[in-house]
Amino acid sequence: MASKKLRRAGVSTEICDRLKRHHIDTCQDFLSLTPIEIMRLAGLSYDKVLEMLRTVSKACSPPVTTALEWWRRKEELCFSTSLPALDRLLHGGLPRGTLTEVTGPSGCGKTQFCMMLSVLATLPKNMGGLDGGVIYIDTESAFSAERLVEIAQSRFPDYFSVKQRVVQMAERVRLFRELTCLDVLNRLERLEEDIISCRAGLIILDSVASVVRKEFDTSLPGNLTLRSNLLGKEAATLKYLSQEFRIPVVLTNQITTHVSEKAAWNDLEADLEDDSGRVTAALGNTWSHSVNTRLIVQYLDGQRRQMIIAKSPVAPFAVLNYTIHRDGFRLEGNDDLETFSNEGTDPGLQPIRVRTGLHCHLTQATPKA
Amino acid sequence: MQRPVASFPLAPSLKVKLINAGFQTTNDLVDLRPLQLSKEVGITHEEAVEVLQTLRCDSQTAQERASGGSFTALQLLQQEQTLGTIVTFCSELDSVLGGGLPVGKTTEICGAPGIGKTQLCIQLAVDVQIPVCFGGLGGQAVYIDTEGSFLIQRAVDIAQAAVDHCSLLADDAEQRKSLKEFTVEKILSNLFLIRCHDYVELLAEIYLLPEFLAQHPDVRLVVIDSIAFPFRHDFEDLSQRTRLLNGLAQQLIQMATKHSVAVVLTNQMTTKVWRGQSKLVPALGESWGHAATQRLILHWEGSKRLASLYKSPSQMEATVQYQITGEGFRDVPHSGPSRSHDDDSCNDTSGNYCKRPRVEGTQS
Repeated sequence: MASKKLRRAGVSTEICDRLKRHHIDTCQDFLSLTPIEIMRLAGLSYDKVLEMLRTVSKACSPPVTTALEWWRRKEELCFSTSLPALDRLLHGGLPRGTLTEVTGPSGCGKTQFCMMLSVLATLPKNMGGLDGGVIYIDTESAFSAERLVEIAQSRFPDYFSVKQRVVQMAERVRLFRELTCLDVLNRLERLEEDIISCRAGLIILDSVASVVRKEFDTSLPGNLTLRSNLLGKEAATLKYLSQEFRIPVVLTNQITTHVSEKAAWNDLEADLEDDSGRVTAALGNTWSHSVNTRLIVQYLDGQRRQMIIAKSPVAPFAVLNYTIHRDGFRLEGNDDLETFSNEGTDPGLQPIRVRTGLHCHLTQATPKA
Repeated sequence: MQRPVASFPLAPSLKVKLINAGFQTTNDLVDLRPLQLSKEVGITHEEAVEVLQTLRCDSQTAQERASGGSFTALQLLQQEQTLGTIVTFCSELDSVLGGGLPVGKTTEICGAPGIGKTQLCIQLAVDVQIPVCFGGLGGQAVYIDTEGSFLIQRAVDIAQAAVDHCSLLADDAEQRKSLKEFTVEKILSNLFLIRCHDYVELLAEIYLLPEFLAQHPDVRLVVIDSIAFPFRHDFEDLSQRTRLLNGLAQQLIQMATKHSVAVVLTNQMTTKVWRGQSKLVPALGESWGHAATQRLILHWEGSKRLASLYKSPSQMEATVQYQITGEGFRDVPHSGPSRSHDDDSCNDTSGNYCKRPRVEGTQS
């Protein structure tokens, strides 16, 4: 509420006018000043300024709640991914009100995961869904409505046997195709209306990386700062929206080849460093701070892939095997949940395994039903 | 009293009028009555009263300051001992910090993404509530979340683990009695959460916090997680950012001292390219490094999590290993080769995050 006008923050009209002459119009302008500066600009005594600072602060500060009040609303805290092992690790599913990132090499199933979540979000509450719409911001033109329907019908054959329900589901997924950075940012800034109008229960941005990496040549000086500014703004907007509407936000990210002095890496990582090269999540360190949960998807062998919980405020570092089927993600061979440890590694530096041969392409072309 | 009128915290226009009427210093004003002053200077009665009151207040506070502003080191020592510390549940880190996180000081926790900054903050917010008879502070905590990383499920886990831990320790009647009060629900109700979405909300909240702390005298911990996120975008004018941050740091130090709370700030790490090498340094610039009294850096070494005390007025710099378990922030069990505080191996890799080269080892 930084843009709240001082006039509405309980400041007298006379002082508002006086401050306006110095281009101080909003709470943001006002609170960015020191008390001494305000004294000079508003022509007030120090005590009056302190009093005014308190008034303005009260007008734009967020409310204080206790953790207990949050806990009482715990049923609104999670969005089930319908993958039992993942849900268990994440204490119930993707946390609402925070940003979850899915990172991985191309073709590993990021978009598949997003589409599966879209189907889930539209389901009625008694089936574990959110009974809400989905805002799907597609920057790669990778979304396929056909695939969406396929996932829905094969995952929930009983429910979606009625054609009406399929239509309803498809109607509730609102797709925005934004192909430049500016478009994405503008879309995010206007998203509030869309969230309300389609009663969105889930926001997906697939992918956050593609447009940014296309448009910013980071070898040029200054571009990196611009890029992290833009990403920071996007993250802040999304965090605000997800928190206010209590809905989960899912972002996808790409991978990059990490250049670093090899000395910092011990033997453990060297093993992975055969011919695949050391590949990590893209967009750098600052961005890694911005996401609350980071899931990494990577290739394992043949059909099998892995999902790693690389960063999470609730879950330990964990590795889950999955395969992709007609009905979306399926976790397999994770009976021993001892695969997770308390150790983990820097989610920004977590090596990601990419596909290493053509062999996988061939087997993937004929997925099992 | 020869303080010039121009230096008083009065409205600028009022000061101009006083000076124009020939009132240069406090002495010129001290014997005047309000009516007289208002006639001579041509100001309203109310304004005249305000001037005289400000003057009187000031001479009073000056005296108070003279008597209350200086301590002997002995007094300070006693005071610090009564304030106590907040344990982290990682005994190695506690001993590096001198018994835990000091109350009445500001501490900055820097670290890479996912290293456990938020975990440590939640752990502290729970630990500050450990009852006095268990050696805790029995306080309350204020948690300002700017990143949305505070997840209540995790707080419940950590709180439950702390309750279980205390119930294992309880052996006398007093402890058992206080244990009845020390429940997860109680812990959650003593944890005040504030979610700030941008830096303006954060600034506003900091202005209001002293008032909140005065109303809730049991608060012993204020966490800001993180200070970096709202200040790392949206700023075209970096000098304005520096100024706001400096002001904030000053307010926090004041708050920590005045209300006897431990203030914990978390900061992010940023990549800095220096002499062709990229390394991780705490964000918000070099001058921000002066802001907090203590600085703790959490960093990775392969898959190990290490905590380094990086700046402290009282404790030696040291590096210890910790882990994050289902229960929270904990010691690493000593099964393998143990790490002692003066382990030099941490220096070999510390080039990864150090902002300045360190010549000497961690032991002096």
